[in-house]
Amino acid sequence: MEVAERLRLGTVPGQGLPPAFEELFRREYAKVVAIAHRVVADADEAEDVAQDVFVSFYRKHPAEAHYAAPWLYAAAAHTALNVLRSRERRGKRDAIEAVRRDIQVPDPAQAAETAETRSEVRAALGRLPDRSAALLALRYSGLSYEEIAAALGLRQSSIGTLLRRAEDAFRKEVAK
Amino acid sequence: MSDIEEMLSVNEPNVDTERALARLRARVDAERIAPVSRGASAPRRVAVNIWIRGLAAAATVALVATLLTVSGLAETILTIFEPKQLVAVPITSTDLNSAASFGAYGTLTWTEQPRPYDVPDIRTAARESGMTVLTPGNLPQGVGAPRYGVMPKTTATFTFSAAKTTQAAAAQKRTPPPMPANIDGSKLFITGGPAVVAFYDDGAGTTGATGVTGASGASPFSGMPKLIVAQGRPPVVQSDGVTVDQLQSYLLAQPGISPQLAAQIRAIKDPSSTLPVPIPVDMATSKKVTVQGVEGIFVGDSTGLGSAVIWQKDGIVYGVAGTLTEQQVLAVANSLH
Repeated sequence: MEVAERLRLGTVPGQGLPPAFEELFRREYAKVVAIAHRVVADADEAEDVAQDVFVSFYRKHPAEAHYAAPWLYAAAAHTALNVLRSRERRGKRDAIEAVRRDIQVPDPAQAAETAETRSEVRAALGRLPDRSAALLALRYSGLSYEEIAAALGLRQSSIGTLLRRAEDAFRKEVAK
Repeated sequence: MSDIEEMLSVNEPNVDTERALARLRARVDAERIAPVSRGASAPRRVAVNIWIRGLAAAATVALVATLLTVSGLAETILTIFEPKQLVAVPITSTDLNSAASFGAYGTLTWTEQPRPYDVPDIRTAARESGMTVLTPGNLPQGVGAPRYGVMPKTTATFTFSAAKTTQAAAAQKRTPPPMPANIDGSKLFITGGPAVVAFYDDGAGTTGATGVTGASGASPFSGMPKLIVAQGRPPVVQSDGVTVDQLQSYLLAQPGISPQLAAQIRAIKDPSSTLPVPIPVDMATSKKVTVQGVEGIFVGDSTGLGSAVIWQKDGIVYGVAGTLTEQQVLAVANSLH
């Protein structure tokens, strides 16, 4: 029984992940990547963030937890924002190079211009307070007010107001 | 498409979930990552736990500042830090970012992970934390009923690694000062908690940020419940023989630690028994106050939206914070019994 339990939980090396966790992964992976991608604007980096987020959840929480999805969404936004900010700290050139990888247009001049714009917008997002930036990342990745409220531990009735404030702050930050 | 939607637009990523799952399986296997055990306490209410995690993050920052202050030489396992008093240490966001990358200097291994969880009432909070949980005798008008969370005792070992430091610095294209040979491989044993946190929303059940106009996002108190009352055992650090004078010099010489912060930490008279309370200078101001008959630190945010007071008495650190005025926060603090 004990061995069966351990196998089910995947604590024996080489025995794979628990089925419930794999199911959660299949269900939520694309959404977690989408949230991270919205923030970092680099598909490869977004997938790295998603891997870290799922590993972190796996270490700390049971796959069957009712809060699994909101936890993953919030962690995706916050982890991606951390990646974004550490990229910004490394300098403008690194930040532009990171988003440049994601732009697939044949004209190099146009790609460079788009990369610079995307990088500036991300820098502005990274300068916002964490909650405002996370709100924008989650909303513009297509999450409903209900999902955002659950992810960020906020009341659903306050999401509209908070989102409008975050949008105003973001516009100001981009215009700087 | 709205202007923000356009600004944040990205190409649709081409996601291969099965390939990603295979990558995760390989990583879990290679790094022998174990899942949470079934018996672990699962949070019952996400919102409260998000708050406790926030406080835990703040505690981690405090702990990092604490590690920067350890002083005195310990040849064997010895308690090198056990706070009996608090001191405000102003820090900038650059300092915070440097502190956040402290993991680059070695490996932190949790022997007892910080696993906060909600409890239904104060009696459970007291039983599970092993502490007498104080409650306010007076609550400002409009403050609702409390919800309680417990952070059990947490222990961790930090092992310094010169190799890891070099690697992390190289990744960031930085050159840190070389780690002294006697620091490389040395260990710090860190204990924190237990702690109990009570969250009071306002009577309508909303958080303090809701309905507040202006630059609430710039306030460390934005989104905070109306009132938080927390108490816990302060962190204790033991060392297995690291030359701590050198450790302090080494850490304070790292790139990103401002000379101002380094000077303030060096100026702490009795670093082995003083808990530095980091005050983000660009967001808050602080001053000394008397609370419950002892000296405490009052922290007010620069927007006037929130305040907090923290003090230590009889081996326990207490904190009261909220979207309240200085008088209200101090009245709550002084009414704890």
